[in-house]
Amino acid sequence: MVSLILFSAFIALLVMITPTDFIRSLETKEMQYSLRLTITTSLTATFLAIIIGIPVAYALARKEFPGKNLVKTILDLPMAMPEIVLGITLLLLFGHTPLAQLLSMIGIKIVFSPLGIVVAQFFSALPYTLRILSSSYETINPRYELVSRSLGYGELETFVRITLPLSKAGLIASTAVAFARSVGAFGAVLILAGGIYMVTETLPITLYLNISYGNLSMAVSAGILLIIASFITIFIIEKMGGGKLWR
Amino acid sequence: MIRLENLSVALGQFHLRNINLAVEKGEYVCIIGPTGAGKTVLIETIAGFHKPYKGRIILDGDDITSKPPEKRGISIVYQDYMLFPHMTVYENIAYGAKKKIRDKRILEEEIERIAHIMGISHLLNRKPETLSGGEQQRVAIARAIISKPKLLLMDEPFSALDTRTTEKLRDFVKRVATEYDLTIIHVTHDIVDVWSLADKVAIMNNGTIIQYGEVEEVFSKPADDFVAEFIDINILEGEITEVLGEMVLVKVGDTILRVKTNTTTGHRIRIFIRPEDIYISNTPPDYGPGCFRAVVEKILENGPYVQLFLSRNNIVLKAVLTRGYVRCLGLARGKHVYVYIRPENVRVAET
Repeated sequence: MVSLILFSAFIALLVMITPTDFIRSLETKEMQYSLRLTITTSLTATFLAIIIGIPVAYALARKEFPGKNLVKTILDLPMAMPEIVLGITLLLLFGHTPLAQLLSMIGIKIVFSPLGIVVAQFFSALPYTLRILSSSYETINPRYELVSRSLGYGELETFVRITLPLSKAGLIASTAVAFARSVGAFGAVLILAGGIYMVTETLPITLYLNISYGNLSMAVSAGILLIIASFITIFIIEKMGGGKLWR
Repeated sequence: MIRLENLSVALGQFHLRNINLAVEKGEYVCIIGPTGAGKTVLIETIAGFHKPYKGRIILDGDDITSKPPEKRGISIVYQDYMLFPHMTVYENIAYGAKKKIRDKRILEEEIERIAHIMGISHLLNRKPETLSGGEQQRVAIARAIISKPKLLLMDEPFSALDTRTTEKLRDFVKRVATEYDLTIIHVTHDIVDVWSLADKVAIMNNGTIIQYGEVEEVFSKPADDFVAEFIDINILEGEITEVLGEMVLVKVGDTILRVKTNTTTGHRIRIFIRPEDIYISNTPPDYGPGCFRAVVEKILENGPYVQLFLSRNNIVLKAVLTRGYVRCLGLARGKHVYVYIRPENVRVAET
């Protein structure tokens, strides 16, 4: 029943505009800019979320350290927090603190800039990446790693040769989810990067800006692109990640 | 040779306390004890997976206490095999050798050799998940020993396998231990492993080693009641009443036993008798003292062997007989039999 309603909503979105309108929207400078910006920032944010997520998730799954639960809670927080609140905390952090001054001294501008999009997307994606990765490490019996160590392989080499291949499904799924979160990140991006027309305009921002102008055709097209991105994510998780992750 | 000196490890609520153990090169040592005794923690500490807060581990003269596992040259085999599922059998074994053997030709030859000894040559291209438990464990052992470790640790390697597979695997392990001149510490809860494989045995309980020594010695002269009960030996207490040359007569309750010892009259002693050293017959054997009558209290069937509980007044003795022998004697509950114990099979400790 729920899925039927959802499905009808998708169809409603698709029939809202004609294919010609859709193609015309895609051909606008604004949409092309938005699409290109979304893909570059999302790929960068995803890359960062995975590169940073792997060691952090591994440490959370395997190592014992004081304050581990606190760290876990803090890292999980953005998942439960409204995105817009995440945005305001990031805005304050990168706008009004010594850290912000330090960054601006070395010429890095995060607030109201495309770099801000990456930062906002990264923090929206990270908790999901960590969740999926650390649960995929937790399902691997640590004795595989112990055996590998005893056979002469160091910690890093064991991770690369044993843990990484055994957690392949989790890695693929977390990459796909991180990308989907990044593409869809809205509240945090709007607050931190500003949602400036043709400057910090990603697909959700395009949807938002054009709805406010009353340009339905552009807004719906952006919505369709976002749905396509979600479908691709689900497809990747199902096909490549294999049901393995969700056992 | 490996030596543990006052090794103490804390792991959550669990503690290993002052473990001392010395294993000579080429020796086969079994560590046996009840669940929760700390056997696995002990060998994982030897392998380098837990950090002791006290004590030292000396391997071939080197202090390896703070060395990481990969620098120790100690391999480990677990009961659940832990074959890497993303590799074939060949790749699994090669994984164990690659750090030591760089030459590809020699590597291939070594894998062929160990695969032949372990009887897994026909499985090399298979994935671990398609193998039976016994086959997987043979692969795991091959992977652990191909690089000729200074010490091989095995954590209940047969406990996931059925009896017949276990018997076969014991033969493989015995063969490979001599072929590769291995020093082995084998954790088990199966006393048969100790009898059939080990040179020495360590009995563990509550995080400490209670007794360590030659198998024959430990099994015939348990250090305390826990060990005696654990290894299933009869313990009786009695008083020496008469000395007959090398032999003494010991009065246990109203029963007289003949025992070989040089303790003199008047001493109270404890005597230990292994269940398989108790002889039973329907007619009185012509041995004089040391032979007595008892009643069969209980018969417990246990595979090819039968456990017999015999009582005489306040003494209860456990005996082990073959199933065929029990049938031949026509034993049943309540039946009276004659019991004989050879004096040289009785071990003595003064109380």
